[in-house]
Amino acid sequence: MSTLAVAKKDFQDALRSKALWGLSALFVLLSLLIAYVFAGFTAEIGIEAQTAKGLAYFLASQITLFVSITAIVIAYKAIAGERESGSIKILLSLPHTRRDVLLGKVFGRSATLAVPTLIGLLAGAALGAALMGEVAPVALGALLLMSLIFVLTYISIIVGLSALTGSTSRASMLTISFFFVFELLWGGVLIGISWISRELPFLSDDPAWIDILAQIPPSAAYTTGLTALIPGDIGPADETTADAFYQTPWIGIVILVLWLVVPLAIGYWRFSKVDL
Amino acid sequence: MVAIDLTGVTKTYGDVTALQGVDLTVEDGEVFGFLGPNGAGKSTTIDILLDHARPTAGQATVLGMDAQDETVAIRERTGVLPEQFGPLGEMTGRQHVAFTVEAKDADDDPDAILQRVGIAHAADRPASGYSKGMTQRLMLGMALVGEPELLILDEPTTGLDPNGARQMRQIVHEEADRGATVFFSSHILEQVEAVCDRVGILDAGNLVAVDSIDGLREAAGTTGEMAIVLDAVPDGLVTDLEDLEGVTSVRVEEDTVTVGCENPAKGAVVRSCQDAGATVENIETSEASLEDLFAAYTGGV
Repeated sequence: MSTLAVAKKDFQDALRSKALWGLSALFVLLSLLIAYVFAGFTAEIGIEAQTAKGLAYFLASQITLFVSITAIVIAYKAIAGERESGSIKILLSLPHTRRDVLLGKVFGRSATLAVPTLIGLLAGAALGAALMGEVAPVALGALLLMSLIFVLTYISIIVGLSALTGSTSRASMLTISFFFVFELLWGGVLIGISWISRELPFLSDDPAWIDILAQIPPSAAYTTGLTALIPGDIGPADETTADAFYQTPWIGIVILVLWLVVPLAIGYWRFSKVDL
Repeated sequence: MVAIDLTGVTKTYGDVTALQGVDLTVEDGEVFGFLGPNGAGKSTTIDILLDHARPTAGQATVLGMDAQDETVAIRERTGVLPEQFGPLGEMTGRQHVAFTVEAKDADDDPDAILQRVGIAHAADRPASGYSKGMTQRLMLGMALVGEPELLILDEPTTGLDPNGARQMRQIVHEEADRGATVFFSSHILEQVEAVCDRVGILDAGNLVAVDSIDGLREAAGTTGEMAIVLDAVPDGLVTDLEDLEGVTSVRVEEDTVTVGCENPAKGAVVRSCQDAGATVENIETSEASLEDLFAAYTGGV
């Protein structure tokens, strides 16, 4: 109950700020553009498989950048900022536990990011449906559900990182470093790892684990996980002769759940001990 | 019952010792003033009471409960005005109080609370736009929600004008009359003197004195002064006065004799003046200021 009270306050704060509405407008525009480009471009180059399901994948692949960057912007100060300003002492002078505050921040900021994300995706899907004359309810449902989980996960990661420090400048360094390593530079990291692995004989024969490593960034896990939920013929799902669980797209969902839980748990462990 | 109990509480931050073996008991229903210069460890003590910080050694209990293990139960029964606050988000004043009412599961009317602390006119404005004094009033209002058994006020008069400080003292009196224990930290001596039953003086992490204000005066050996205006100062009066028991100093300036003395000696001083043949035209007495006491305890001059 306490968690919900904190989440509600956090969300209401966001509702009152213009930033949320600005973000929503921006994302609706972005999403409409994506749908328009998808419908127009595929028609022009004569791709037959121009489907609403395909649009769901295309939207998914395009929103990861929006979600990850926005999550950092709206959540990196969640704990660190309130510690720096001292206002966390107001919250923690009331009968809330530190866990209430941490989880409340995660839910409150997730709701804040979920609103523009869902509105944007629905707008994009609606435009796509209008242009292509086709609706894919299952794919759309899967897209919305996975996107909600993705938003929750990204906010959870960023709030977890924010809980590690009482300084906003350190929090911004941590979260931006996270973004660089796991989103922008991960391809390079993989090349490095596979190069090193050639020197390690016990790994060199099996490229499968490199495929798993490639799924580690939250955005990759999200897009992979989406293919697990959408039945049918698109994506790498059916190309895999799934002989092991970690080779199926479900690995994406597993990795996403780990991202949801582990950074936040580490953040909580640190935050629960620290002097404010 | 004991409202606050500290036993051997020590807190170090790296090489810095913020509190050194502090033992302190605040009784139920008491108004306790917690005095000390900035940086003496007052806020650290309050942080430990509220589990914002953990003691390096020693134990703290609040309302009979362990301050580190039963934090939520303590905060349910305690109203807090924290010292260091930042921007308070986008909520209005009324919403802040309502948020506190909800958190404490109380049934106070937010408008009545805002009325009581004198910011009812700003109830609908976002608190982020409040002045420092208004924010302090709002924080006090939030602390009053749910008629807490214990009020912890950390530097409550910061940012208040004299009128606001007077209202603050008034509210502290009202809360004490209701039966609440008040733990009031300040570096402003007059504030503490006006409201507190007992005072603790903290200096560089050490609790150097705990007593009533009168008791402190006595213990510190500080005395008051009495300025007597006479029609004329008779010869020999100064010597007579200096011989009186309890008189520590005598100064003469034109027709005014200023005598430093303990309270019981004041009658004898006036009588001596009359016996010497002078007419007493006016008497002004002043007690040693708490500032003098404070300096005596904290090693200032």
